[in-house]
Amino acid sequence: MAAVADAERASAQLPAPRRVAERRSFPVWRWLILLTAAAYFLIPLYSALRFAGFKAFTQVASYPSFGSAFALSIRLAVITTVLTLVLMVPTTVYVHLRLPRLRRLMEAITILPIVIPPIVLIIGVLKVAPGFLLGTPNLLGLEYVILAMPFAYRSLDAGLRSFDVRTLVEAANSLGAGWPATLWRVVIPNLRTAMLSATVLTIALVLGEYTMASLDNFQTFPVWIVNFEQNSGTVSVAASLLALFVTWLLLMLIVGVGGRSARKRGGPQVTLFTVATGGAGATPGEPE
Amino acid sequence: MTTNMAAGAVAGLGQAGDAGALVSLRALSRSFGTVRALDGLTLDIAPGELVALLGPSGCGKTTALRIVAGFETADAGSVTVDGHDIGPVPAAKRDMGMVFQSYSLFPNMTALENVGFGLRMRGLKGASRQRKAAALLDMVGLSPQARQYPHQLSGGQQQRVALARALAVEPRVLLLDEPLSALDAKVRLQLREQIRALQQRLGTTTLFVTHDQEEALSMADRVGVMQGGKLAQVAAPAELYSRPATVFVAEFVGTMNRVPGTCAGTDEVSVLGSVVPVTGGRQAGLTGDVDVLVRPEGLTIEAVPGGNGIVTDRTFLGSLTRVSVLLSGDTEVKVDMTSAVAASLGAGTSVRVGMAGHEPVLVAARS
Repeated sequence: MAAVADAERASAQLPAPRRVAERRSFPVWRWLILLTAAAYFLIPLYSALRFAGFKAFTQVASYPSFGSAFALSIRLAVITTVLTLVLMVPTTVYVHLRLPRLRRLMEAITILPIVIPPIVLIIGVLKVAPGFLLGTPNLLGLEYVILAMPFAYRSLDAGLRSFDVRTLVEAANSLGAGWPATLWRVVIPNLRTAMLSATVLTIALVLGEYTMASLDNFQTFPVWIVNFEQNSGTVSVAASLLALFVTWLLLMLIVGVGGRSARKRGGPQVTLFTVATGGAGATPGEPE
Repeated sequence: MTTNMAAGAVAGLGQAGDAGALVSLRALSRSFGTVRALDGLTLDIAPGELVALLGPSGCGKTTALRIVAGFETADAGSVTVDGHDIGPVPAAKRDMGMVFQSYSLFPNMTALENVGFGLRMRGLKGASRQRKAAALLDMVGLSPQARQYPHQLSGGQQQRVALARALAVEPRVLLLDEPLSALDAKVRLQLREQIRALQQRLGTTTLFVTHDQEEALSMADRVGVMQGGKLAQVAAPAELYSRPATVFVAEFVGTMNRVPGTCAGTDEVSVLGSVVPVTGGRQAGLTGDVDVLVRPEGLTIEAVPGGNGIVTDRTFLGSLTRVSVLLSGDTEVKVDMTSAVAASLGAGTSVRVGMAGHEPVLVAARS
């Protein structure tokens, strides 16, 4: 006790300028890092914007096959997202509840699509895909489900770790809720932000994927951008900036929506790639 | 050793509550890998009775509760409710209310919606569900908090909502899995009284798992002390305290002194200048020098010069004071006495410690 008091007295007697310097040293570094990172990202964006010019933006939509390419990408985004969530939500919940020891293995498996180059994946898929899928966008959607797996799994895993899913499921069971009701009324509502984050990451991935789409001979939005570059460089750059902007808007949306619903329910502020803090999210509020 | 006094209790408490069911655990065994969590546990809980399973962590008490709830399956043995084997019945259909150790309220629902969840699962519609949930919330004194989300409630409030939620479905059996252990001392005390009062009012058969002996002794009709996956003894709190069946129970429940003694005669032991009978006769293999187990209130102190001990410390407990005495031979004992008398026994006082009565005692091998 006395030692603490002594230390406080000592620090109080420090010359004022030195204390100010100590307080400031961190923010200076932070600013430096922030500015470097910002320059790294913003300078290319700014250059692209300068290169394209504002006129190009107004022209993007009027170019041939832009509409069909964009529609195809949106359609793929929807297929991929729905399939990913339908497959991954029950799987991650099941692993968390019944096979917690498999979590490491799941992490390793779900990282594979990142480790294996897309070119290898696509050649393999084209060799073994059944005929009725070949040449249909559904095949590309299925491939995207694989590509989205690492992101979706990590989002959902973090979401599941942010609340005590086992206890909540047991509580629901003991109150008479079967599996469908437990999943629908208890697990999914508390996993909403994580699912939203998985959705946005999946959409962002689909809207930006080039290799698989072009090898599958589909003119998705990114393929269209590359093809079009030969016609008009400025319009194609404007189109990619637009794509970036749309994705960014989606991200902002999820951060906003997720933050609001989390504030309302006091849950953890799950955003993109939130690292789970473990334990039950809700902590006791005001004392009795 | 399993002391089963359930049969008597069942007969005595049969008419206590109509809502409660008769729950029987029969020779339950469960292993996790090489660890035997339950080793032939047998226990009967009479309708309306509150039985506490008490024991150190890892004694199997939680496993037993989870088997009754349907979250674990037993390797062997059975659980019956009113004579029906519930082994094949899934947890969702067992009609049991459960309050968990960790906060288990659904974070996406208000207090009222949480309480109404079980009713909704039973198909109770809108207004009648609301009314019933509100009544339950009122019963635990949380009507003003009906619209609040779990994170806006304190720990004690959350557990009260959890209790209301468990009771809302009018379960045949209430299961309490250390529901108070995450709360601070004062709230714990209040909630413990509230749970007991509600349980008695509703007459719900209750199995309560705890490692806190004070909680178990103060709330339960009977307490089962568990050791190594078995019941060491199951008895009413007073009996458990005054007539422990085994050395483990004696030392686990309450404070117990070990005083050196010598076996005398067939079933007697000589200790502190008295000869007292041994509970249940002398155990095989115990001869010569033994430890005699005596409660702090089973010893007397007299200030005399050149006695058999020296006062080392005093702990004031209100009307009583617990005096620590160092006996010759380096044994420390604790003796409870009225604070007025203890006031004159400062540290260093030479005293003579003796046996207060002629009650039978337990003996154990010299430690």
